[in-house]
Formats: sequence, structure tokens, C-alpha cells
Amino acid sequence: MSKISSAITEIHRIEDLQKRDQWLNRIHPLVKLACTCFYIVCLVSFNPYDILGVLSMGLYPLILFMTGDLSITDCLRRVRIVLPLVCLIGIFNPIFDRAPMLLFGFAVRAGFVSMLTLIMKGVFAVLASYILIASTSIENICYALSILHLPGILITETLLIYRYVGLLLAETERITQAYSLRAPGQKGVHFKVWGSLAGQMLLRSMDRANDVFASMSLRGYSSDFRYRKSGIRWRAFDLLYLAVWCCAFLFLRNFPLFEIVGSLFV
Amino acid sequence: MRQIEIRNLTFAYMKGADILKDISLSVSPGESVGLVGANGAGKSTLLKILVGLNPGFAGSVTVGGIPVEKGTLPKIRQKIGYVFQDSDSQLFMTTVGEDVAFGPRNYGLSESEVRARTDRALAETGITHIKDRPIMRLSGGEKKLASIATILSMEPEILLLDEPSIALDPKNRRNIINILNRLQATKIIASHDLDMIMDTCSRTVLMGDGKIIADGPTDKILRDKALLEENSLELPLRLQ
Repeated sequence: MSKISSAITEIHRIEDLQKRDQWLNRIHPLVKLACTCFYIVCLVSFNPYDILGVLSMGLYPLILFMTGDLSITDCLRRVRIVLPLVCLIGIFNPIFDRAPMLLFGFAVRAGFVSMLTLIMKGVFAVLASYILIASTSIENICYALSILHLPGILITETLLIYRYVGLLLAETERITQAYSLRAPGQKGVHFKVWGSLAGQMLLRSMDRANDVFASMSLRGYSSDFRYRKSGIRWRAFDLLYLAVWCCAFLFLRNFPLFEIVGSLFV
Repeated sequence: MRQIEIRNLTFAYMKGADILKDISLSVSPGESVGLVGANGAGKSTLLKILVGLNPGFAGSVTVGGIPVEKGTLPKIRQKIGYVFQDSDSQLFMTTVGEDVAFGPRNYGLSESEVRARTDRALAETGITHIKDRPIMRLSGGEKKLASIATILSMEPEILLLDEPSIALDPKNRRNIINILNRLQATKIIASHDLDMIMDTCSRTVLMGDGKIIADGPTDKILRDKALLEENSLELPLRLQ
């Protein structure tokens, strides 16, 4: 299977995850969106040297992965492109921040601790976003955004980009397949035709964009996007879920969980 | 009263290269008209002019007595539904149900009416079972049916279809023909599938080089071998 086919299949698999009949999938999309945003805000607000505090925030993705029947292996495979970038963020900290500090009784460079903290923050944020995406369809996320009164144009863009990614991938696959069938034995696309292939993609994209806009206009679109999702209802459990997690995040942010738990045993 | 009235229509994408040349055509309510002709004859261009996608034409075009011009397009587009040749251009929402509901929602209908229309359009096209399916995962036939459903949900008086049977297998093609025959709306169907035109249209307009070459009963025009061959067409398969 080509890389492009794999990408399309991955999109389909994530859509299958979104459609599962799991308790996590049934939670109101606005609650999940708010929870994820609040989690990320709390996460990034930690002191760069508070490694245990940040580590305790890992409970949120851990619990949801376990109870939501999500596979951490699949998740790591899907976000494998992002993770190295996340890890790169703090890579220079140990060089520039050489002050000594104690970590688990060992003297280490403060920059090393802040690098680990940054990596953990990045990884946890990616995991939390993955949980949101794996349990909430793009329409439901857009519905949540529309409840928040985000500008319609942004919601439309989000929906259309998602739809367009599939079309663009399919178009790219057609072009590259047509190329490879007439260039046997070549690995990849020769650099001499990169320009014309990219040009073709651009022209086709513009044509498609024109057609899609025409189709929208013919069905009454006039920049005021009307999107509703009638099947979603608020339940008491949704509010409870939000309240419990928000309290948990605030607690973890303000109290050292591991020290408290440790003091119970020591 | 004529539902569509075209008088002396001339149109060019680029100056000096007329695609449509002095075309006059009338269509009555409830009529089913087949638009046939070789590639580049101007069939799609003519359909697009009717819904205001190709402005800047010379001559007059009226739909339901309303002239096609910038200010009247919202009204015209409520009357006419246009099914694109390529379904991927027609379908832009993420699921079939959302795409079918897009038009009615934009016209400010209540959510219950939107739901009723969506369900009706899906039932008419026989695709209720794929209502929640992502567009990306539809087959070619399902995409075409979904495209038609997106238009039916707007309950248009006139349907314009550009190559509705293109790239469909025989079963899906027959399905589309049956659906089109059940619809009461005025229809203009541009197609190279002359057998389908025979099955769905009582009147045929033959176009060639931007002009109307012949206009009359389908049975007469599509049996005229010499006329068809002169215009780069062939007799329908069933007559060969």
C-alpha cells in the first residue's frame, strides 16, 4: 500500500474510532473540547522545573486511554511524526541552563529537568488532543465551536479543509500512480518533474475549489454557515465529567500529588 | 407559460472564442429535455448559464419569468437544482446527511423541516442507510445518488443534471434512470449516454459547435443516424 493510501486508510480508521459506541464518544463535544483546552492550559502553566507536577498531569490521558478503550500503541504510531518535533523543543535547554539542581536525589543540570518537563508537556498535550479527535467527529467539534460562537467562516474552513484533505490525498495518489506506471523502476518522483506535478496539483486544486464554491453558492451559501447537530443532547453526566476533571486539573496544578501520596506511606 | 426561456444567447469564456452562438430555447413546466452533443458542444456551459455560474453572456435568459442576473440569483437558485458532473465537486460536507441538509439549512428552514426534507431526499434516492457515512467512504454510485439527494432536499422546480450516468455501473445507472423518471420536476439532462436520454427524456436538443442543431421528440432525433453521425454521435446502443 502506498503512503498516500495508508494516510487515507488512517483517516478512515480514526473516523471508525469516532463512531464507536463508547461512553467517551457519547460525552457532549463541547465538554470534551473544554476539558481538553483546560487541561492543556493547566499543563503549560506548570513551572518548567516542576517535573513531578507535570508527570501527575499524565493521569488524565492515562485514565482516558484505559477506560475509553483506546490503544496507546495506535496513538503513538499515529502521532509519531509530531513526537520528535515535540521532543526537539527543549533540546538546547541542558546546554544553556547549566545551574545544578536535585532530581530524585541526584544532582543534574536544571536545563535537563526543564527539557524533560517540556517534552512531557508536549507529549501529554498531543495525547489529550488525540483523545479528543479519536472520540469526537469533526462535525461535532465544529458544532461545539459554533456553540462558542466562533466566526462561521472559521468553522466552515475547518470542515472544508478536513473534507479537502481526503480529496487532495486521492488526487495526489492518482497523479503519482499515473507517474509511477510510466516510470517503472524509479523510486519516488524524479526532481525534474516536481515542478510540473506541483503545478498540476495547484491547478486541479483551484478548479476543485471553484467547483465546490459554486456548489455551495447554488445551495444558498452566502458566507453565513448554518450548522446544527440535532442528535446531541446535554446530560447530567456531561456536566459531572467536566466538573470532576476541571477540579482534578486545578488540584494537580496547585498541590503536589506525588508528595501527598508519598507522605501517606512515609 | 415557459419555465425556461433563452433568447439569442451568446457566450464566450475568452473574447472572440464563442462557446454558445445565438441559442434560443424554451422549456415548459414538467418537461424532460435531453441535451446531447459532442465534447465541447456547449452543453455544460449552457446549464451553468441557467444557474448563473457563467455570467457575462449576451442575449436573455429567464427562469420562471425571472431574468438570470446577479441580483436575482438567490431566487433563481431556489428554483433550480444543479447536479455537477463530478460528484466530488458537489459533496463538500463530511457526512451524507449533513451534505443533504446543507441547502435547506441555508434557506433558513426550521430544523424539523430540514430533517424531514433530508430524510425524504435520502429515501427518494434510496440511500437512507448511508446517511451518517463520511463522503470520503462512498463508492462512485453512492456519491452520484448523494449528489442528487443534496439537490432534491431543496425541492427545486427544475433539475439540471450534467452527465448523471457517467462512470456508473449498469445497476447504479438503471437506479438513477428510475429515480429521474419518478421525479415530477422539469429536467434538463446533459449526457452522452443516449440510451439514458431515450429512457428519461421525451424531448431532445442536439447541440454542435455552440449551436442548436436539432430540437424535437427524442424518438425522432435519436433515431436519425445521419444527423447523429454528422455531430460526432452514434445511434443509441439499443438501436445499433
